[in-house]
Amino acid sequence: MTSPADPGLQAERTSLAWRRTALSVAVGSLIGMRVLPQQLGPTGYAVAALGLLWSADLALTARRRYRDGSRLVRTGDGRDRRAVAAPTLARTAATAGVVAVSALVLVLVIALR
Amino acid sequence: MRPLRAHGVSEEEDDAPMAEDRGRFPRSVFEEGEDPDPRFSLANERTFLAWIRTGLAFVAAGLAVEALQLPVTEWLRVTISVLLVLAGIAATAQAWLSWVRTERAMRHLAPLPSSGLKLPIAVLLGLVALAVVVGLLL
Repeated sequence: MTSPADPGLQAERTSLAWRRTALSVAVGSLIGMRVLPQQLGPTGYAVAALGLLWSADLALTARRRYRDGSRLVRTGDGRDRRAVAAPTLARTAATAGVVAVSALVLVLVIALR
Repeated sequence: MRPLRAHGVSEEEDDAPMAEDRGRFPRSVFEEGEDPDPRFSLANERTFLAWIRTGLAFVAAGLAVEALQLPVTEWLRVTISVLLVLAGIAATAQAWLSWVRTERAMRHLAPLPSSGLKLPIAVLLGLVALAVVVGLLL
């Protein structure tokens, strides 16, 4: 019996995790497109559009991580830089952090209004 | 099945860290230790993403409380909203923090770290639940 190229489907599961994240951001942005303009005016549309851009970036990352991941699992070479997408993860965490802090500011601004 | 550590058994390849490894970002992770099996790094990446999604969900919930005007006294509503968004910030910090600590531990074959910001997040969520109950009873 031949062994599958990706035993445990590690690369696929990782890619799907990125895809779930992209989907969450897309849904959140679309809801934001309805809600944010009521609070922020036209700026609200711009903010929601930025969210959709981020979602597209995450979806592209999902594709890239599948390619890199399946190659890595096949060759088993953890020394390959692509095994760990640290810069990508740092960028994702930073973006999520900016979103969260902006949300805090928004809530406080609405509350103090 | 391949050995769990890709470089535990070296097959005529030098085990000294490659020159390009030294500058790898972030230094605090890649400075020392040996690269683990890539499957473990991929699992760590998925845990990171799960925390990111958790943080986004907290933030969305916090905004929803304000946007949908949860029917509780105003100061409590603002409190609930702020606490949820703070939990979102903490979960996002936890995502990166735990990724770094787990990756570092795996490189040293050390026990995996626990806790991090989990306790503060749990406390924040407990306060949210309490505030909702109080708000609905008032």
